[in-house]
Amino acid sequence: MWQEIYNSAIPAIVLKSVIRFVRRVLNLPALRPTILFAVMFFPLAALADWNTSEQQLARKIVGVTGPGTVALTVENRSSLGRRDSDIVQNGLRSALEQVGIHFVKAEQATATVTVTLSENASTYVWVADIRQGTAEPAVVMVSIARSGRSTGARDSMPITLRKTLLWAQDDPILDLAVLEENGAPTHIAVLNAESVSLYRLQNAKWQVEQTLEISHTKPWPLDLRGRLILARDHAFDAYLPDVVCRSGAAASTLTMSCHEGDDPWPIVPIAMNTSSVFPSAGSPATATGAIPPLSGFFAPSRNFFTGVLTPAIGKFSSVSKFYSAAFVPRDKYTLWIFVGVDGRIHLVDGMNDQSARLDWGSDVATVRTPCGAGWQVLTATSGEQASDAVRAYELPDRDPVAVSPAVELPGPLAAMWTEARADSALAIVKNRETGSYEAYRLALACQ
Amino acid sequence: MKRIGWLWLVSSLFLSALAATAESRPQYGGTLQIAMRAAPTSLDPASSAVSDSFARRTLTSLMFDTLVVLDESGRAKPGLAESWQAMRGNQRWQFRLRRGVKFHDGTPLTSEIAASSLRLANPAWNVTPERDSVTIECENPNPEMLAELTLSRNAIAKRDSDNKVIGTGPMHIVDWQPGKKLMLAAEEDHWRGRPFLDAIEIEMGKSFRDQTTSFELGKADLIEVAPEQSHRASQAGRRTASSAPAELLALLFARDASSHDEQLLRQAVSLSVERGSILSVLLQGTGQTTAALLPTWVSGYGFAFPADANLTKARQLRDHLRTVPIWTIGYDGSDSLARLVAERIALNAKDAGMSLQPTSSASADLRLVRIPVASADPWIALQELVNELGLSPLKNKAGPAEELFSTEKAVLETGRVIPLFHLPVSYASAPRLRNWTLRTDGSLDLSEAWLGNTKP
Repeated sequence: MWQEIYNSAIPAIVLKSVIRFVRRVLNLPALRPTILFAVMFFPLAALADWNTSEQQLARKIVGVTGPGTVALTVENRSSLGRRDSDIVQNGLRSALEQVGIHFVKAEQATATVTVTLSENASTYVWVADIRQGTAEPAVVMVSIARSGRSTGARDSMPITLRKTLLWAQDDPILDLAVLEENGAPTHIAVLNAESVSLYRLQNAKWQVEQTLEISHTKPWPLDLRGRLILARDHAFDAYLPDVVCRSGAAASTLTMSCHEGDDPWPIVPIAMNTSSVFPSAGSPATATGAIPPLSGFFAPSRNFFTGVLTPAIGKFSSVSKFYSAAFVPRDKYTLWIFVGVDGRIHLVDGMNDQSARLDWGSDVATVRTPCGAGWQVLTATSGEQASDAVRAYELPDRDPVAVSPAVELPGPLAAMWTEARADSALAIVKNRETGSYEAYRLALACQ
Repeated sequence: MKRIGWLWLVSSLFLSALAATAESRPQYGGTLQIAMRAAPTSLDPASSAVSDSFARRTLTSLMFDTLVVLDESGRAKPGLAESWQAMRGNQRWQFRLRRGVKFHDGTPLTSEIAASSLRLANPAWNVTPERDSVTIECENPNPEMLAELTLSRNAIAKRDSDNKVIGTGPMHIVDWQPGKKLMLAAEEDHWRGRPFLDAIEIEMGKSFRDQTTSFELGKADLIEVAPEQSHRASQAGRRTASSAPAELLALLFARDASSHDEQLLRQAVSLSVERGSILSVLLQGTGQTTAALLPTWVSGYGFAFPADANLTKARQLRDHLRTVPIWTIGYDGSDSLARLVAERIALNAKDAGMSLQPTSSASADLRLVRIPVASADPWIALQELVNELGLSPLKNKAGPAEELFSTEKAVLETGRVIPLFHLPVSYASAPRLRNWTLRTDGSLDLSEAWLGNTKP
């Protein structure tokens, strides 16, 4: 049987889960003593792995020097932290003692050994440089496979923006829809480049329920985008460039059929103002009936909307090509916000199209909350460390006013869409550290 | 405490990523203008007439695809091959080709063409096409096969009757004036998706000075920066990015040592070179001194080869010799840095009682050479360095770090090569150029680059 051996990421996924868990726990002050305890003992696992290598290196060293007196120096030139390098150093000393080495000062030693803890892309390399009298220096070494690393995140205005990790995977995520939730999501659909995957939370573990393939004949664009929209009379529709897929009605087993065509993508999901077939997902927290439906045509083989709208916004049946759109309901009209491919923000009210250059990202999403003016627009801004950050704005008039501090994302924002219930948005991020794609729910909390 | 290597590499590459504005979606359109020093006369990835260079790797990756690609973490990912399996202890490898891929002339990628391309680049491999796959059989187990397949020479090319090479890469050739200019256009139906750029125009054979002038006049978006100029370029406010030290600068002797005395004299030359002062003065602190072929970020042990000058020992060695010949030290006449380094080495040798005469002529007893490190995979990198240096091929091609160390040490003990420095490759980019990165092999990754403020 043909084995696709490049796809062997399970240990990495396990590791990432551990890292994510540790990060999440690190954000909970009440658990910090527990964390301290955990951090103190976490290296034990690595220690177990290092024991073997320490012993190997010790044997190699004594193979050159023989049992006797040695002056030992250990230098860390690797990414190992001080704590870990100390652990290795102590372990190595013990291992050397076990094979008959006694540590003395250089002037009393029959050999001087300099151990350097180094590394390359895939392994730690521990190198021992051994010098004995006038003999040629000898070099012995061991290599140990490296695993991943981790870091932390950080984060005040009238509103606080919070991010909650919903899903992570190695392959790009185009969109994610929560089909059911009970306090937290329990049933989700993930839109991938080639499939829609359904996952269900069972016994505290996510289980793949179904994978529905997306058929398409043309290659996808490089910056592939897609949308997963919950529907009234069936489970969902998936929109991709020049391809639309429609699922069957919710049942124990879903089906999905795709066809090529430039059907317009819903910009205001219809599920916002009605219940979906998945009752707990589609029930809007607040009524959004004031928002008229709007769809836009997406350019095939590109990463933007052509600007053609259906229905028209007042006198505008088309606007400039745009990457994303948001809206802010006013008393008598809806103000539409389009992020143009020309780098300008277009504010369209049906009569006027005003444009401005703002320091906004390409992706915007509207959320409805009990905070402030009730409607906020989320947009990406430049974050730290070449990552993105998302901030909430209100538009009391035409000028946006930041109403929340920026929430840092662990990498560049790949997509941001308003969730079906409209009180939150979904942000897809490529984690700069782990390389995996992560879907976050961005929700606002009033202060 | 000094931390080295991989972290440094990652942070360097990361800096290049910083050059991209993270919050904006890519824009389609525009022509990217590049200038480079290299002046290749052939675009054939398997041509042995053109030596390996960072520029060549960049060009190849634009026009051709490989079966396998490496991600940022160095893991193999599908390229033209969708999947693969290793058999018989890594001696036999089977690659299933991606369906629906077409060459730029519209012909489909077949296993026959892929096999023929790989055979040409690797005469020692037994490559056989099957229905939708290609099988490679090696003389010995080759656990590093995937890394090897990512090398430029293993890019899949179709060669027509008049020896024209056609690829499946993201850009196709519009105009090619060998050694002078190359115009590439986006391949609309590339299997990975159409590139954001409409076209790339590459001016070749441009000196660093000419490149800088073009850049300042707005005629080039992306130029190379000489290693010794990289600090100055970033201080001048240019957007620069540097790779890990991925180029070996070394002295290469034209032939094997003919006597024990000559071997000793070569050791004396090596011991006489004050790498540290050359690094700080001539290279302006850019790069790393070395006595190893492989940089430490690749091998993990480069520092185990002492690189400090020892004039006393050099003189002692020289004093043991009955006669001390006068050697010529060659350098590339178009490379001003090479000339300065060669002259400095000659001065160092003189201090140790030896005579080296710098020359820009093609024939010399020893030459100053610059060899790009081919891969982050240490075994592949060593194998390719040895090939480029014209030394005996490696017997071992895989194993733990210690075995690699022994193999490298054995190569150095032949006395044919004296490693001096590992240098980074540096580039400066115009603000409108976004989302370009440096690969670990020092080449430019422009596959997802785009130009700001251009109409789609």
